[in-house]
Amino acid sequence: MNSTAIFIHWKAIVEILILWFVLYQVMLFFEGTRAIQVVRGIALILVAFFFFQKFGLERLDWLFRNFFATSVIALLIIFHPEIRQGLARLGQRNLFVSAMDEEELDQMLKEICKAADSLSGYKIGALIALEMHDPLSGYVESGVLIDSKVSSELIQAIFTPNNPLHDGGMIIQRGRIASAGALFPLVQRLDIDRIFGTRHRAALGLSEETDAVVITVSEERQDISLIYQGKLYANLNHENLFLKAKEIIQAGK
Amino acid sequence: MAKKNLSIAYRILHIFTYHPWLKLISLILAVIVWLYVKEEMFIAQ
Repeated sequence: MNSTAIFIHWKAIVEILILWFVLYQVMLFFEGTRAIQVVRGIALILVAFFFFQKFGLERLDWLFRNFFATSVIALLIIFHPEIRQGLARLGQRNLFVSAMDEEELDQMLKEICKAADSLSGYKIGALIALEMHDPLSGYVESGVLIDSKVSSELIQAIFTPNNPLHDGGMIIQRGRIASAGALFPLVQRLDIDRIFGTRHRAALGLSEETDAVVITVSEERQDISLIYQGKLYANLNHENLFLKAKEIIQAGK
Repeated sequence: MAKKNLSIAYRILHIFTYHPWLKLISLILAVIVWLYVKEEMFIAQ
């Protein structure tokens, strides 16, 4: 093998790796949203299209080529809200999560878990969102600004019934409680279990629109849940909640 | 130092445990797209 052939192979590997990275990021981006089904469908069509061409199935190749070209327009119309959200999120990345060291993160999560545990014991509901890379500033402004250190006592005080801020969500930004009483978008999916109320629907809604880690405490079932990218991890205890939240936050850095 | 090593090990493990199927599917797709583009470019030449 001469040096030119090695160089060509090297370039091919780099090109495939870049393509892999881009495709993985696209799929990861849509994972947990209803648009992932469309992405899967497109992937399947591409694979089929490739094999039709490879095996010389000309009629099927023609059919898929024409079908795919027109279906792209239909997909753009049907999924325009998801595409709009996706494009908006692309330009809104921030890197604050990495600014917190492990000790600070542990301390913050311990306070949140302690509060969730106590609130669950007292049958008090709570909704707490932790900002990751996607800024939650728009939602922060919908609540009452607090800007305080995260403490278990303050979280419990805010969610205590009859407190003016107990209704709505709390947002934690850059390791501080940014606001409380914030309004989160409700999930649009219809496949949500009826046992989940508005609090869980708001948590799922926010987790689908942003990469925030959302913690909910159910006042009826005393259940502590963690919601991330549209996935709900229910029935967590104090320890599991800490470990799961830490795992997600560290993985997202 | 030990904390840093643990973090690197965790990150390496994370590459294989975080969405492994998504990674595999995207790799297959990347190879298919690359082969398709290569073939199209060859025909065009």
